[in-house]
Amino acid sequence: MRAVEAETNSQLELTGVTKRFGGVAALDGVTFSAAKGEILGIIGPNGAGKTTLLNCISGVYRLDAGDIRWQGVSIAGMAAHRVAGLGIGRTFQVVKPFQSMTVRENAAIGALFGSAEAHLPPRQAFQRADEVLELVGLAHKSALAVTALTIPDRKRLEVARAVATRPKLLLLDEVMAGLNHVEVDEALEMVRAVHATGVTIVLIEHVMRVIVGVCNRAIVLHFGQVLAEGEPTTVLRDERVIEAYLGERYARRQRGE
Amino acid sequence: MSFSSLPDASGKRWRRIFLYIGAAVLLYALLAPLTSLEAAQGAGVPLLTDKLWFRIATIIAMFVVMASAWNIMGGLTGYSAFGNVAFFGIGAYTCAMLVSRAHWPLFLAIAVAPVTAAIFASLIGVPLLRLRGHYFAVASLGVSVAVGEIVQNLEIGAKPVFGGATGLFLPIFRFDNRDLLFFYLMVAAAALTVGITWWVLRSRFGYGLIAIRENEEAAAVMGVNTTAYKVAAFALSAALTGLAGGIFAQWNVFINQENVFPIEYNVQMILMALVGGAGTLFGPVAGAIVLQVLIQFLSGSLPISADIPFVPPDARPVVAQVILGLLLVVTVVFVPRGVIDFFGGQSRLSLAYLKRSLRETSV
Repeated sequence: MRAVEAETNSQLELTGVTKRFGGVAALDGVTFSAAKGEILGIIGPNGAGKTTLLNCISGVYRLDAGDIRWQGVSIAGMAAHRVAGLGIGRTFQVVKPFQSMTVRENAAIGALFGSAEAHLPPRQAFQRADEVLELVGLAHKSALAVTALTIPDRKRLEVARAVATRPKLLLLDEVMAGLNHVEVDEALEMVRAVHATGVTIVLIEHVMRVIVGVCNRAIVLHFGQVLAEGEPTTVLRDERVIEAYLGERYARRQRGE
Repeated sequence: MSFSSLPDASGKRWRRIFLYIGAAVLLYALLAPLTSLEAAQGAGVPLLTDKLWFRIATIIAMFVVMASAWNIMGGLTGYSAFGNVAFFGIGAYTCAMLVSRAHWPLFLAIAVAPVTAAIFASLIGVPLLRLRGHYFAVASLGVSVAVGEIVQNLEIGAKPVFGGATGLFLPIFRFDNRDLLFFYLMVAAAALTVGITWWVLRSRFGYGLIAIRENEEAAAVMGVNTTAYKVAAFALSAALTGLAGGIFAQWNVFINQENVFPIEYNVQMILMALVGGAGTLFGPVAGAIVLQVLIQFLSGSLPISADIPFVPPDARPVVAQVILGLLLVVTVVFVPRGVIDFFGGQSRLSLAYLKRSLRETSV
């Protein structure tokens, strides 16, 4: 046993995280950590295991091997609601709103439950819902049914619900996919605003402008393994990354071979 | 072509008139039995009630309890329990065993009935609530059939534990106004069920249940302990149903598998909640009242029942089931949110509404 861990800056630590579906290893020994206050981007081609990774962290899936520690405590195999209770919030790539509820009620669910800091009684939960809807720019639509929302607004609502749980760590799963240029800019503003409230953010994104725009650091997943890690612009210039995304031939051509 | 546009002024007025009439009828129904008291008769209040009236009114109140209790699980949590009659039977048998074998006082036995039903629901809920959709519905139906069979056939040393096929007879308590007492007991149970539903709809618990219904995975990552919430909802639903069973046992004096585990109750309570409006506070209440009156009418128990053409009198209960089945189909397809939707200020009954519902509910 090691002595009490030295005061580290890392909040989330993954070591050798492995998840198999039948014979396919969606995640194969993924190891990385996220520091407090950081915005960490996770990129990778389709099927690289990005969403599986978020599902493992948020307790939706159980790991087959490896460990995930949050503020020094292992959360591998913990039920999703307990992970949320510890202050890890998440959004879904395919939005999962509560259809029968209004926008405001959707956000209030996060504040009624969520982390130990949230968990407000109904009246305060609705006040908190109003605050987060303001933060993500949905305040003027709070009385609408979710079915009346556009896709970008539904993605905002995903973020609002997660933020309402008062997370210390927020996992964003492609909240900007399918948005146009202007909408991406607005969404970037939203991410910065949430980050400014002191939340550590891990985000999955295909839009490279987002990775370069807000992330301190980026990790590239490929076939369930960490292919590269580092400062976003450096990572995106990495040959292996270009190869993974655009194919070997393209990479060779770039090198002038 | 207004589907969910706000009702105009005349629509509102009609709605209010409906509400007033409904309230007046309900008030009359609740107070009329008092005229059977000697004091009331002595004071010259005309006698408005007889045995039949009490029987029907008490049964209606009983179904208000069952439909509203089902609503907590099926309507709010979105888990279509198809075997709630098991809890009714368990409540009835608990009460009957305690009173007839252990000689407990009546009211204490009635108070314990919901407890056993809730404990049973918690125990089977943990494995059963891992199932979703049809699988849960079928599994819960299976449990209700199994419980009825076990209760009837369980023997220890060739002696039936729960009275066997003969059933259980309860001692008849001598009350001055027995019918009145059980009518008001059942009405109190109905009021309690509606009151609890009212509270649930406003509480964190209720929001959690609705979140589970709308998207269980999203609810979990937002911090809802889905397993605990589902089991709690199931147990609450079971407790209230068991309470109705306990009161029924004492009221009916005789219980057996047939009268406290009838499979058709499963269908009826769901039908009532759906026709009235599942997930709402008063939908199941309205559904229970209207459909129970209809059931009584169709099966020929009401004094005002008219002849149904081409149907011999002894086939009427069967015809009643057929009509209820058809009604279920029509409701689910055309009025998926229940008739309460027309009274809650949300929608108006119109051809456009029916067409829209058909489109929404068809694949």
